[in-house]
Amino acid sequence: MQNDKAITVSQITKKFGAVTAVDGIDFEVPRGEFFGFLGPNGAGKTTLIRMLTTILKPTSGQAIVSGFDVAKAPGEVRKHIGVVPQASTSDLDLTGRENMDLYGRFYGIKASERKQRIKTLLDTVGLAQRADDLVATYSGGMRRRLEIARVLVHSPALLFLDEPTIGLDPQSRRVVWDFLRKLTENAVMTIFLTTHYMDEAESLCGRVAIIDTGKIIALGSPAELKANIPGNDIITLALGKAAPPDIVEAVEKLPFAHKIKPEEGGEIRVYVDNGPKDLPALIDAVRAAGGEITSASVHEQSLEDVFIHYTGKSIREEEAKKVSFFIGAGLPQRLGR
Amino acid sequence: MMIKLLAVIERDLKKFRRNPIVLAMSILMPVIYLVILGNSFQGKLTDLPVALVNQDTGPFAKRLVENLMAIQAGPRTFRLVDLTDQQKAVNGVRAGLYKAALIIPEDFSKRMTVAGRPDLGLFLDNTDSISADNIRNLILAAAASLGVDYVPIREVTNQPLLRDINLYPKVDYYQSLVPGVVIMAIFLGTLTTGAFNLVMDRFLGIDESYLLTPLTKADIVSGLIISGLGITMMNAGLVFAVSLLITGIPISRGILNFVPLFIIVALTTLCLLSLMFAILGRIKHPRIVGVLSGFLNVILFFPSGSVYPIASFPGWLKGFAAINPEAYAVDALKSVLFKGAGMMGVIGDIGFLVLFTAVMMTLSIITFKRTL
Ligand SMILES: Nc1ncnc2c1ncn2[C@@H]1O[C@H](COP(=O)(O)OP(=O)(O)OP(=O)(O)O)[C@@H](O)[C@H]1O
Ligand SMILES: [Mg+2]
Repeated sequence: MQNDKAITVSQITKKFGAVTAVDGIDFEVPRGEFFGFLGPNGAGKTTLIRMLTTILKPTSGQAIVSGFDVAKAPGEVRKHIGVVPQASTSDLDLTGRENMDLYGRFYGIKASERKQRIKTLLDTVGLAQRADDLVATYSGGMRRRLEIARVLVHSPALLFLDEPTIGLDPQSRRVVWDFLRKLTENAVMTIFLTTHYMDEAESLCGRVAIIDTGKIIALGSPAELKANIPGNDIITLALGKAAPPDIVEAVEKLPFAHKIKPEEGGEIRVYVDNGPKDLPALIDAVRAAGGEITSASVHEQSLEDVFIHYTGKSIREEEAKKVSFFIGAGLPQRLGR
Repeated sequence: MMIKLLAVIERDLKKFRRNPIVLAMSILMPVIYLVILGNSFQGKLTDLPVALVNQDTGPFAKRLVENLMAIQAGPRTFRLVDLTDQQKAVNGVRAGLYKAALIIPEDFSKRMTVAGRPDLGLFLDNTDSISADNIRNLILAAAASLGVDYVPIREVTNQPLLRDINLYPKVDYYQSLVPGVVIMAIFLGTLTTGAFNLVMDRFLGIDESYLLTPLTKADIVSGLIISGLGITMMNAGLVFAVSLLITGIPISRGILNFVPLFIIVALTTLCLLSLMFAILGRIKHPRIVGVLSGFLNVILFFPSGSVYPIASFPGWLKGFAAINPEAYAVDALKSVLFKGAGMMGVIGDIGFLVLFTAVMMTLSIITFKRTL
């Protein structure tokens, strides 16, 4: 029993037919940490969370969550965690308060305690006014906030949030962020969050794992991850047409340029020591090599750049879910369990 | 933990209560079925078992039996079973072994020749009114032809009088449909509660959250079945009461036999709920439920003997009726409602329903997965 670890994962893998959604992942999350998984669509974040929360069987590998093996003691794991799945899961035929009460009862919480907690939580997420309306009449953002409040009814020590701020407006996002930050402040709660918003991971998470096509490609605090990339700032130059090799060569010769990445559509990204200072010299060098610059921008490194640094791309097409042509959706795709 | 199970049950009841149209429809539809079915069924019956007790050795009795044999060989509406003991024949009808018992008394031929009215005794199982009418008409015709052949002039006075003894209080075709309509209400109820809620939750994607809680497989399955049982039995009870009223079956008969009727309805509901669970346990789309519902309704309801007697079915369909839970439910309800049978009288039907439920429950628990 590792008491200081909320999650320990070793070589966990999930295959859906030919697709390997999660490919031999290892990591640990100490208690009290705010841990983030950052990855594009289809990277395997939801699949990983589903395995860690016992509702999907791993193809191979092991995960210990809250001190229990997800494959051997799923019931124990479920008692100790709270999960907000990616998709909306509120029951539309019930009111917000009834939805929360239902979950409170699933965890065996006493009526008086339930009532009090639900009231406080609904207040916190700003749903007190609408608590007794059917969820069917809620907006998407209100449903999301209800789900975040719902998961706290049984005061879990470990929280899994799959893209919790999906569909929220900037203001509600701030509210949720502040709320989540407060939960981890006194280090009693561990939060495991997935997101594809760089700013979300950067502002909330103590450590971030970057996942792409089922593999962790980088892991560390946002500051550490950024420090791994050469240079401090990034200059993006739009060249109008694809960068000719001699321009790339010319830029590479500059002493302050650490790395050059030609992008589609004639853009190049140059990783430099000090953006504002190095920009004029960079422009001169490109012009001297015969390049035409239509625009230039300088920004500080962010997780997004870390992401692009490791994967080469920012967003990837999500692959279609495999559904048998003959059986169709809605029927079990396989016999057996 | 009770609190979890109760939460699952209460959720379904709440959802149901918020859909009053579903409630109204599930009561109205079976009643409309009753009216439409009551007016739309005709068909040919064959091989109805009829017990024949011939106590007369005279020529007229011989003649009558020959006529009956001709019907047995020709249109094959009934199949004669020769018996000597009158009491045994009547008991056989009571037990459902025979659809009728025809008694030819000792003095039949004598009274045919000597002045006086010859008498035949016919005991009919009139809970199955179509079979009863058919048998009565054929026997009347067979007996009438005796008169035509031998005493053409005194046709009217000397025509044998069929003393039609209805074993049970009069049941017309309309009334005999009531058990079927109640079963129909139960079927509709079990189709839209229980496992259907599971399919809907899956389709809407909200099952994921339920699976993430400490709810056990048993909590989920039994919670859904218990709420389905409550809702369906309430519907069936209302349909039952309305059907009694519109067909004129005395309500008192329903109240007097409340315990056996309640047990039959509850068992039938459990039986169908677990059947649905076994079939729908892994279905993810409500459209599949829609397609299945029409099919299941036809294959369970029509061969149940509720509209047309099972005796009229060809062998393979009789075989199917032998494993059709609705057939046992209809038989049990008919016995209690029209024959005054108590619990012991329907113990066979109840045994089958219990067995069927147990098998389907086991199957449901095997097929139901507590993962995505
Ligand atoms: N039930 C399933 N059957 C088949 N393939 C699946 C299934 N679930 C996920 N996949 C595949 O696994 C891969 C990872 O999917 P997953 O949902 O884990 O991605 P994600 O990182 O959560 O993406 P997003 O950011 O879009 O939510 C994808 O290629 C997806 O098509
Ligand atoms: Mg996802």
